[in-house]
Amino acid sequence: MSMQAALPVALIPGNSIIHRINPITKIVWVVGYIVLAFATQNIIILGVMAVFAFMLAPIAGITRPLLKGMLILVPIGSSLIALQIIAPAVEKPWTPAWELGGFVIYTDGLYYGLVLLGRIVASLIIALVMVMTTHPSDLFTSLAKLKMPYILNFMSSMTLQLIPVFQREFGIIMSAQKSRGMKGSGFAAVLPSFVPVFVGAIERVQQLAISLESRGFGSDGHKTSYRQVRARPLDWIIGVLGFVVLIGLSVISILKGLWNISALITFPGPFVAGLFFVCAAVFVGFLVLIAVFSFKK
Amino acid sequence: MPDPIIRFENVTFSYAGTDEPALHDISLEIMPGEYVAILGLNGAGKTTLGLCVNGVVPTMLAGDLEGSVTVGGLDVADYPVREMAKLVGMVFDNPEFQMSQMSAEEEVALGLENAGTPYEDMKRIIPETLKLVGLEGFESRSPLGLSGGQQQRLAIAAVLAMHPKVLIMDEPTSNLDPIGKQEVFDMAAKLNRENGMTVIVIEHEVEVMARYADRVIVLDHGRIIMNGTPQEIFGRAEELATLGLRVPEAAAIAAILSARGLWKGPVPITTEPAVEAITELLGAKNG
Ligand SMILES: Nc1ncnc2c1ncn2[C@@H]1O[C@H](COP(=O)(O)OP(=O)(O)O)[C@@H](O)[C@H]1O
Ligand SMILES: [Mg+2]
Repeated sequence: MSMQAALPVALIPGNSIIHRINPITKIVWVVGYIVLAFATQNIIILGVMAVFAFMLAPIAGITRPLLKGMLILVPIGSSLIALQIIAPAVEKPWTPAWELGGFVIYTDGLYYGLVLLGRIVASLIIALVMVMTTHPSDLFTSLAKLKMPYILNFMSSMTLQLIPVFQREFGIIMSAQKSRGMKGSGFAAVLPSFVPVFVGAIERVQQLAISLESRGFGSDGHKTSYRQVRARPLDWIIGVLGFVVLIGLSVISILKGLWNISALITFPGPFVAGLFFVCAAVFVGFLVLIAVFSFKK
Repeated sequence: MPDPIIRFENVTFSYAGTDEPALHDISLEIMPGEYVAILGLNGAGKTTLGLCVNGVVPTMLAGDLEGSVTVGGLDVADYPVREMAKLVGMVFDNPEFQMSQMSAEEEVALGLENAGTPYEDMKRIIPETLKLVGLEGFESRSPLGLSGGQQQRLAIAAVLAMHPKVLIMDEPTSNLDPIGKQEVFDMAAKLNRENGMTVIVIEHEVEVMARYADRVIVLDHGRIIMNGTPQEIFGRAEELATLGLRVPEAAAIAAILSARGLWKGPVPITTEPAVEAITELLGAKNG
C-alpha cells in the first residue's frame, strides 16, 4: 500500500524546483505565511498571499491534489461567511442589509469573515504545498536540525507511519463485518470497527515501542542522521527573502493597527444578501451530500 | 575459560496480573560465541526468556522477577532497554509491528542514528546490511509495502546493522520459504563463526536447529527441561514426543530402527550421516 493512496494529504513525488527547495526554507515560508496571515486584517494582502501560494501548484505539478485537499474549505468557508453575515463578530451597531420577519442579515461581518477565510485559505494552501512537495523524512530531519526535540519529532513521523496501517486494519475489519452481514459503508459501519482497530492499535504501539527501544531509541547522547539535506545558496536566498518580506509585512501591518481597510470597502446590501444565500445553500448542500454518502451507499 | 556472556540465576518471572509464572527457576549460562537454539511449544516461555536478555522483561513489560539476569556483567533490571541495545539485538516475532520508518534504508539507519554512528559509516553499513539479507534494490521501498518475508529480513537487518554482541531472533523465519529460512540461518551462522557473535534462536524447525546450533534448550511450562548438544537432545525422540515436540526426520528414523534393534551407532541428527548409516545397514544385510 502506498502512502499516496492511504493519505488524503501526502507527498506527491516529483523533481520540480519546489520539491528541491530545502525543507527549512519551506518551513520559514509556512511560518512566515501564518504569522503574516494573523498579523494583518488587510484582505488585499491575504488575497495576494493565497493567489501566490496557489500559483506554486502548477510549478510543482500538484494542482489536482491541491484542489482536492482544498475541498475542506467548502464547508469551512461557506459556514464561516454565512455566520459572519447573520452574526457579525464586530461591535454593534450593525448595518442591516436585508430582513424578513425577525431574520436580519448585516453587511458589517462580511469584511471580517473574508479576513478569517483569507487567513485560513492562505495558510492552508502554503502548508499543503509544503507537505505535498517534501519527503516527510527530510522534513523531520530538518526539524531535528532546528533542535525540535527528537521525541516530538519522532512521534509526528511515527503517526504518519501508523495512518496507512490503521487504514488497512480498518479495511480488513470492515470487510470481515460486511461478510457477517453488517452494513459495510458509512459511519454506521465504521463505528463498530473502532473497537477492534484500537485494541489492535494498542498492542501494535506497544510492540513498536519495544522494538524501537531495543534499537536504542530514546537514548541520550549524540545522534546522527542518515538523510542528508543540503542547503544551497538558492535555498538561503529564497528563505531570507521570504523571511524579510513576510515578517516585514507583518510588522508594518501591526504598526498600522492590523491594516484593516474595511472603511474603504462597502459591500452593497443585495450583494451581501445574495452571498449569504449562496453560502448557506452550499453549506446545507454539503451536509446533505455527506448524509447521502454515509447512509445510502 | 571466558566468563559467560549471559547468566540466568534462579530466574522466576510472572507477568503483572498473572498467577502462573512464565519462567520458572531458570538457571542458564551462555558463553560468548555460542549458537543456542530454544525449543518449546507455544506458551512455553521462549519469548519471555529472550525478552529477559535484552531487559524488556522486566523494565518495559512489568512483572514479578526473582533471581537475576546478567548480560556482559550488567544486571538487566538496572539498565533501560535502550542501553542494553548496545550489547543485545533482538528481532521480534512480528516483523510488521517493528517497522516505523518511511523506507527500508531508514529502518536500518534508525539504530545506527540512535547510536550516533557517523554518516560516512552509515553510508557503508546500510547497503552492506541490506545486501546481507538479500534486500539490495529495496532501499527506498516503504517497509509496510514489503512482503512478510521481506519484512522479516528487514527486521533482521535493522538489528544486525548495529553489530550487537548478542543476537536474539524470535521465530525469525516463520514467513519465509525453505530457501529463505536457510539463508537467514546461514547468515546467522556466518556472523557467529566469523564475528564471534553470540546467537540465540527461537525456532520450531528442528532440522535447521540440528544443523546450526551448538546447543539446544527445551522449555516446557516455563522450565528448562533439556539443555545439551543437538546430538544429545534429538537423541531423546520419545521424551520430546511426549512434550509434543518433533525431532529431525533423520533422528526419528534412527529411533524407530533402534527400537527394532536395527540401529546401533550414534543417533544422526542431519540427513547425510543418516543416509550413510542406512546405506551401510542395507549393504550389510544384502551382503
Ligand atoms: N505481555 C504478557 N502479559 C501477560 N502474560 C504474557 C505476556 N506475554 C506472554 N505471556 C504469557 O507468558 C507465557 C509464556 O509466553 P511466551 O514467552 O510468549 O511463550 P512462547 O514464546 O514460548 O510461545 C504464556 O502463558 C503467555 O500467555
Ligand atoms: Mg513466542
